[in-house]
Amino acid sequence: MKTIVLKWLFLTISPCDAAEPWQLGSQDAATPIMQGIIDLHHDIFFFLILILVFVLWILVRALWHFHYKENAIPQRIVHGTTIEILRTIFPSLISMFIAIPSFALLYSMDEVVVDPAITIKAIGHQWYRTYEYSDYNSSDEQSLTFDSYMIPEEDLELGQSRLLEVDNRVVVPAKTHLRIIVTSADVPHSWAVPSSGVKCDAVPGRLNQISILVQREGVYYGQCSEICGTNHAFTPIVVEAVPRKDYGSRVSNQLIPQTGEA
Amino acid sequence: MAESVSAQTPSLSEQYHLEKEVKPVEVQAEEVEAKEDSPPEEAVEDKSESPASTEVTSEEAPAAATEEENTTEDVAEETPDEIKLETAPADFRFPTTNQTRHCFTRYIEYHRCVAAKGDDAPECDKFSKFYRSLCPGEWVDRWNEQRENGTFPGPL
Repeated sequence: MKTIVLKWLFLTISPCDAAEPWQLGSQDAATPIMQGIIDLHHDIFFFLILILVFVLWILVRALWHFHYKENAIPQRIVHGTTIEILRTIFPSLISMFIAIPSFALLYSMDEVVVDPAITIKAIGHQWYRTYEYSDYNSSDEQSLTFDSYMIPEEDLELGQSRLLEVDNRVVVPAKTHLRIIVTSADVPHSWAVPSSGVKCDAVPGRLNQISILVQREGVYYGQCSEICGTNHAFTPIVVEAVPRKDYGSRVSNQLIPQTGEA
Repeated sequence: MAESVSAQTPSLSEQYHLEKEVKPVEVQAEEVEAKEDSPPEEAVEDKSESPASTEVTSEEAPAAATEEENTTEDVAEETPDEIKLETAPADFRFPTTNQTRHCFTRYIEYHRCVAAKGDDAPECDKFSKFYRSLCPGEWVDRWNEQRENGTFPGPL
């Protein structure tokens, strides 16, 4: 667990799965949803630059040509049918080029094509999270439930991130379709992991489902994204994606003390 | 919490798991992995675009096969916590993000099944797994209490 974090920190090419200081761009994608969001951002940014350059050019040109010393007598143009048609058609074409990939991503994000392999419940509390892995129990007692508290600054070890580390991480198998059910036990919270392109509100009395597929192993950090009280800034989320073979042993190692205590 | 887990696990795992039962389940878990490895990788490529209908049908076949395998495993093994990686499937009655009614409906379906077929009917096991996967434990506890008190607000 820790070795993976240290390894990723000290390798020259390290995926950005946690917030960096002065970060400008997105964190690296770990799911197809996030990759789609990043690609859409690039598509829109292209048109954005086109429009920006065009508008700036027209603005500078207008300021130059309408300067009171350069051209004392301005032209008084009132109509121009061709240009009016063009300046209506072109923006609508650009809007269409932006809308097509945007709607494609939006609707594909909602589609659940494959049945998920596991269900994890993320329950928000003030000011910690509880995770339940209940696919494995045969009675009404939870098979695996644990709380996830932020590690306070005094207890951090070298190499760990301030305000982002937790004591118990959410262990998920990589390359597996997951269903995450997000809810809250008291006030609204929000379960957000930027690398996975996930931000889902945790509303008391409601179960919100998100469907993700983590494509690479690693540790992904996120933070609570809905104001929930005084320690809202101190309830992070850490998702650890492990190889599928290791997932079984990790979960059963945690299962044993639970069922032993229950 | 994590440290105490790692310190205690060797002795508890020896007590709890029998060597003979671990191996055959691991073999079947690997088979499940082998089947599920190739379809999810195909699904990943298509997921960002519009999904092909062939993908859906090919997914249903291995998912159904693994469910059949796993239910026989449940009967044979008495240690249900060996990781089989199956869960409540996506229900077409509840296609949206809000799955509150999905959880509630599964809970009611289980109790109606038990009322109709008796407490130990194996058909009801599937519903019980579904509602336990979907519903938070606190909700289930609260509903169980309400059923005992006779105040459960649902068509049992």
